[in-house]
Amino acid sequence: MRRVAVIGVGVTKFGKHDRTSAELFAEAAADAITDAEIAPAAIQALYFGNVTGGETERQLHMAPLAATLLGLPTVPTTRFENACATSHVAFRHAVMEIASGVSDVILVGGAERVLNVPTESATEFFAYCSDASLEQPAGLTFPGVFALIARAHMDKYGTTEEQMAHVAVKNHRHGTLNPKAQFRKEITLDTVLKSAYVADPLKLFDCCPFTDGGAAIVLASEEVARRHRRPIWVLGTHAATDTMFVHEKRDLARIPATERAAQGAYRQAGKTPADVNVVELHDCFTIAEIVATEGLGFFEPGTGGRAAEKGWTSLGGKLPVNPSGGLKAKGHPIGATGAAQIAEIVTQLRGEAGPRQVDGASTGLTHTLGGNAATVVVSLFGRG
Amino acid sequence: MAEPVINLKGFFDEARAGRLTGIRCGRCGALAIPPKEFCEQCQHREWQPVPLGGTGTIVSHTVIRVAPRGRGGEVPYAVAVVRLDEGVSLLGRVVDIPFEALTSGLPVRFRPIELEQQTLIGFGPA
Repeated sequence: MRRVAVIGVGVTKFGKHDRTSAELFAEAAADAITDAEIAPAAIQALYFGNVTGGETERQLHMAPLAATLLGLPTVPTTRFENACATSHVAFRHAVMEIASGVSDVILVGGAERVLNVPTESATEFFAYCSDASLEQPAGLTFPGVFALIARAHMDKYGTTEEQMAHVAVKNHRHGTLNPKAQFRKEITLDTVLKSAYVADPLKLFDCCPFTDGGAAIVLASEEVARRHRRPIWVLGTHAATDTMFVHEKRDLARIPATERAAQGAYRQAGKTPADVNVVELHDCFTIAEIVATEGLGFFEPGTGGRAAEKGWTSLGGKLPVNPSGGLKAKGHPIGATGAAQIAEIVTQLRGEAGPRQVDGASTGLTHTLGGNAATVVVSLFGRG
Repeated sequence: MAEPVINLKGFFDEARAGRLTGIRCGRCGALAIPPKEFCEQCQHREWQPVPLGGTGTIVSHTVIRVAPRGRGGEVPYAVAVVRLDEGVSLLGRVVDIPFEALTSGLPVRFRPIELEQQTLIGFGPA
């Protein structure tokens, strides 16, 4: 298999937009191609992610539309949908197409637009990512899924609502350093703890926002990347799946798909958790960050809450997590999130992250989770 | 092709009548809800339907206060994962128990809930 590198990244401002998902992706993609210093015609395939376009924009077949708006109407395209892990799944498949020798340069990413519909509609469409026979009729929402996980983590390990609030405060602080972030305002523990319950024990400020945005990455084979000024290498990328049914999870306080995806990615890369200098992980809810830092092997199961409380995951801490502001402050356009996380890690490893730069970072990790913790992809990146 | 011993429609038809039905693997004895083709444990395809008593205890619960479109009139409502006495779990709406009394380990009993011509899995006091 051939080595694969990221040679270009592009991310739109996250927040509310009056442009379509396909337009948002096209902007991010043009930025990524410019950043890669290649001719647009060098792109041989588009791997595109979007989740709710059929509902929020009455738009399917969005991948060729995005290619058309980008000005590359003849490039072969594929659309991916794996809930919130969508564009990280697309990324993994693009890596495989290059590694196998089929293509040399691929554009991958995604976009989402949901702020054009009311919150209750967005909540409904996101809930389509849970099971429609048992879970949607019961009225289970995504905050509800992670509330069940939070309660189990609190019962089993003694994790507190205050420890979860520390994750939100930290990610909002990081978000102030990211000009692309949806929220660029610091909040306090009090802001989080006094916000209204959405799904007990999760409160409004434990939840990431609804977001419009797009993100894109240019991937290249080793031969192409060697001619590039600053390639960032894909050291490993692994996907794992777990049962869709929340009631079938063996231990709600853990996310086995994260643990299996991480083990696979570390093995491929020949790395261990101790080698990682910077992390972008899936903090759709504060508890999700705590469970992910445990599942990725950074902290023992049950100690992720304490790690957040001690500041170990802050910029300047022993392992900075979500320097971009994470899903919590940067925002979570679900079809774009995986690609945006990868763009942040690439920016960090290039040393181009400005005030949020993790000094000397040479190995980075991205973790994206989809749906009822059913889909997880973990990837590792390095400078060498 | 073998017809499945029970499908999702059959599961809900039974549930509507107040009967909770799981499937038991004829090879290894594993229990499952809802019906599926292969046994996750032993990879065989020898299911038998098995009636479940409907009593169990709460594993984890939440009170939903922001609902999807069309469910706004129902908030706040409680949802829980319940581990049934037979050892298999199921997710459902919890009714007739005050929210502040909900806790892990609390005994509950299955009951079907009819809501807008849809049957959902519910649990009430044991």
